[in-house]
Amino acid sequence: MKKKVLAVVLAAAMTISLAACGSSEPASTSTDQPAASTTTTDTAASTDTSASTDTTTVAADEPDARGLLNGKFVDTRHITVELYDRNVDGGTEAGNNAWTQWIQQQMLDRYNVEVEFVTVSRWQESDDINNLLASQTAPDICYTYNYGAIQTYANMGGVIDLAPLLEENKDLVPSMFDWLGDELVYQDLDPSAGTLWAIEGKRNEICRINTFIRKDWLDKLGLAEPTTKAEFENVLIAFRDNADTLLGADASKMVPYSISYDVGWRAATLIESFMDPNITDKEYYVNGYDDRKFTENGTKEAIRLLNKWYNDGLIWKDFAVHTGDDTTEDDMIKAGFVGAFTHNYDYPFRNGKDSINATLAAQYGDDAKFVAINCFEDKNGNYTKYSYSNSGDRKTFFPATNDEPIASLLYLEFMSQPETVEYLQIGDEGVIHTVDAATGAIVIQAPDDAHHDWFQNSGKNIDMTINCNGLRLTDPALTTLSLAFSYSDVDPADVQHAIEVAMKDAKVPATPSVGDIAAETEGTDLAGKRDQTYDKAVTASVADFDSVWDAGMAEYLAAGGQAIIDERAAAWDATYSSDMLK
Amino acid sequence: MAKEKLNPVPKKKITKTYIKRYWQLYVLLLLPLIYLAVFKYLPMRYIVLAFKEYKLNTPLMQMPWANVKGKTDVFKYFKTAFGNADFRRALWNTVKLNLLDLVMGFPAPIIFALILNELPFKKFKKTVQTIAYMPHFLSWVIIASLCTQLLAPTDGMINSLIVKMGGESISFLDDSAHWVATYVGAGVWQSFGWGSIIYLAAIAGINPELYEAASVDGAGRFKKMWHITLPGIKPTIVVLLIMNLGYIMGGGFERPFAMKNNLVMDVAEVISTFVYKVGIQQLKISLTTAVGLFQSVVGLFFLLSANAISRKLGERGIW
Repeated sequence: MKKKVLAVVLAAAMTISLAACGSSEPASTSTDQPAASTTTTDTAASTDTSASTDTTTVAADEPDARGLLNGKFVDTRHITVELYDRNVDGGTEAGNNAWTQWIQQQMLDRYNVEVEFVTVSRWQESDDINNLLASQTAPDICYTYNYGAIQTYANMGGVIDLAPLLEENKDLVPSMFDWLGDELVYQDLDPSAGTLWAIEGKRNEICRINTFIRKDWLDKLGLAEPTTKAEFENVLIAFRDNADTLLGADASKMVPYSISYDVGWRAATLIESFMDPNITDKEYYVNGYDDRKFTENGTKEAIRLLNKWYNDGLIWKDFAVHTGDDTTEDDMIKAGFVGAFTHNYDYPFRNGKDSINATLAAQYGDDAKFVAINCFEDKNGNYTKYSYSNSGDRKTFFPATNDEPIASLLYLEFMSQPETVEYLQIGDEGVIHTVDAATGAIVIQAPDDAHHDWFQNSGKNIDMTINCNGLRLTDPALTTLSLAFSYSDVDPADVQHAIEVAMKDAKVPATPSVGDIAAETEGTDLAGKRDQTYDKAVTASVADFDSVWDAGMAEYLAAGGQAIIDERAAAWDATYSSDMLK
Repeated sequence: MAKEKLNPVPKKKITKTYIKRYWQLYVLLLLPLIYLAVFKYLPMRYIVLAFKEYKLNTPLMQMPWANVKGKTDVFKYFKTAFGNADFRRALWNTVKLNLLDLVMGFPAPIIFALILNELPFKKFKKTVQTIAYMPHFLSWVIIASLCTQLLAPTDGMINSLIVKMGGESISFLDDSAHWVATYVGAGVWQSFGWGSIIYLAAIAGINPELYEAASVDGAGRFKKMWHITLPGIKPTIVVLLIMNLGYIMGGGFERPFAMKNNLVMDVAEVISTFVYKVGIQQLKISLTTAVGLFQSVVGLFFLLSANAISRKLGERGIW
C-alpha cells in the first residue's frame, strides 16, 4: 500500500512540475499575437495623428487621445527599460538601487509611468537582447551600440518605426530634440524608405584613445618622453635591455609594450598615424564599417612595424592566447611589468583605488605612474588620430512588442533633461561628489559605506543616461572644468594632460546619414576574421608577414568585406551628388 | 510458443491484466515519457524553421517559406551553409577533432579501468579513482584558463620551466598542430576517469569463477585480461562506441569555444562555434536550425550504421 501511495504522489508531483515548466511555453505562444492585447492602444496611437493637433480643443481637465492630461498620464502606465548589468565588484544590484529607485519615483511623479528595469549582461548584451526579442519579452526601451543588430531585428519585423511616432508626438519630447538635435534624432533615417529604427545617442566627451608610458621608468633610465615612432622604439629597446635595472628579480617578466588580441583597438593610435591625414570623408566612411580600421589605407604598414617590434622582443609575446575577458594583461600592468600600452584615453585612471595608477602608486610610490604621450607621427609630422564623434553612440530602439510607445518616449524625454542627467552623473553633494575649493570643479568620489546604495555601477551612471555618454552638467563651462576631476584617487593633472594629448590633432570622424547597408546584416564573422588576421600578422615571422596579411585580407574581403565596401560607396554616391563630393 | 497453446488467453487480456497488476510501474513510466514528449519531441516542430524565413513576433505557421527574392526555395539555408567557406571548414574541423577525440579518448578509460582492476591495494585504488574523476567536474572555461596558465608560450609555467632548463618554448597554444594536440589531450584528461566508471562496473559483473578457472589453467595476468576481462566488457564497449559515433558530427560548444584563440582558428572553428557566432549572435535562426538539422541527421546516420554493423558482427547493438 505504501508503495502505491508513494508512486502516485511521485507521479503527481512530477506531472505538476512538468506542467509548470511546460506552461511557460504555451504562455509565450499565446503572446504570439500581441495584437490581441494591444489593439486598443494601437488604435489609440494611430488616431493620434488627428488627435494631437486637436488637443487644444479638448477641455482643460480632460485627457487627450493619448491619455495625457497636462503632460501626465491619467491612468498609470507601465514600461520596461533595458539596463546593462556590469556585475561590478562591490557594486549594487544593477536593477534595484538608489539610482533606479530615484528614476522610478521621478517617472511616476512626473508622468504617472511605472518603470521596470530589465537587466542584461553588459558583455553578452546582444545575445541577451536576441533571446529577449525572440521570446517576445524584450524591454520596451532597448539600447545597443550596434546598429547592424537593430537593422537585423527591423528586417525581421521586430522593431517599431519611430518616424511616424516622433512626427505625431514631437510635442512630448522637446528636451530630446534640444539635446540631440534633428541631425542626431534622424541620423539613421533611411532616405529612400523613410523609416527610422533607432535614435542615436550623443557623446559629450569625445576623447578616445591614448598611448601611455611609465614615467618613472623613463626618469630612471634618464630618457625623455618619446615624440616619434623612432624614439618610441628606442625607448622600448631601452626598457627591454634594462629589465634588470627596472624590475630586478622579475626581469624576465618585462613587457616593453603590451597589446591584446584586439590589435585594431590596442594599436589604434599607431594604425591611425599611418593613415593618410588627408583622407576624404567618403573614403573614411566607405572603410568605416570596421571601427578597427582594418581596410584603411596604411594599416598594413602599421602592422608591419608592430610585427617587427614583436620579432624584436618588444611586444608581449603571449598576447594572442589570452582571449575574452582575461585580466592577465591588466594584472601585468598593475603589477608594474609593462612599460607602455595604448588604450582608452582614461584607462589608467578608471576604477578609483583599483585603477592602474593608484595601484602602481600604492606599490612603488607616487612617481610610479603612466602618463599619456603622443609619439606616433603621421607623414606630415602631426599626431593624427580619431576621436569619437559627438553624434552616434548608443542607439535606442523600441521593439515591436512595445505597447506603450508614448510612455516610452516620455522616458527618453526625461533622460534628455539636463537636470536629470546632472543628478544621475554627480548626485548629491557630499554623497558622490564634492566641490573643489580652489577651482570650483565638481569632484566625483565613491560613496561611503552609509551611502553605498548610491554607488555608481557604471562610471557617471552612463548605463542609465541612455542617450548621453560623458559628463553633462547643466553648466557647460563647469562640465569642461570638472572633466579632469571626475576620477577618484588619481591626480587630476594627469587626467587633464591625458585629455590634451588625446585631443592633439584629433580628427572627428564624419557620421553621414546614407541609409541602411544591407550587406552589413549578412551573417559572417567579419570581426573574427579581422582579429585573426591582425594577430597572425603581428606574430608572423618578418619574412611571412606579407603573405599572412594578404591572405587574411583576401579572406575578409571575400567573406563580405568587399560587399560592404561596395554598398557603402554606392550609398554615399547616391546621397551626395558628385559635385558635393569632398 | 508451446506455452500459448497450453494457455490460450487472448493477447488483449494479458495486456489488461499486466496493466492492472503493475499499474504503479506504468504510472512511473509515464513520467519519463512526458518529459521526453514535452522537452524533446514538442520542440521538434521548430525544425520547420530550417525551411522558413524566421520572423520576430510571428507565429511559426505564418512565417513564410524560405525564398530567394520572392522565389520559394525551401533549401535556401542549407545551400547558404554549404556555400559558406567558413561552414565547410568548421564541418571539416568538427569531424577531424571528433575523430581524433574518438581515437585517443575512447580507449583511454578502458585501459584505465583495466589497470585499476589489476591494482592490489584497495585504498590506493580508491584514491587514484577519485582523483581521476575530479577533472570531469571542472567546466571547460576553467580547464581552458588552466591550459593558458600552464601552456602559454612565455608566461606559461611549463614553458617557463623548459626555457629555464635551456630548452626551447613549445607552442602548445599558438600553433595549429600543437593546439590540436593540446585540445585532444585536455579532452582525454578531463574524461578518462569518469568514463572508466561504466567499465569498472562491467568488470565487477564478470563471474569470478572464470578467473579462478583460468588461474588453474595457468593463465597469467595478461592472458586473463585478454581472454576474460576484455571479452566480458565487450558489449559495453560496443554500446559506448556506437553512441560515440552518433556524436561525430556534434560535439559540445564550451570546449572549443573556451580553448580557441585567434592564431589557431583555422583548426579551432567547429560547427557549434560557427553556429554561435554567425547564427545565434547575429540572429540567423533559420540558418542555425538548418545546420543543426544537418548535424542531427548525419549523427543519426552514423548511429544507425554503427548499430547495423555491430549486429551483423554478432554483437547486440543498442536495440
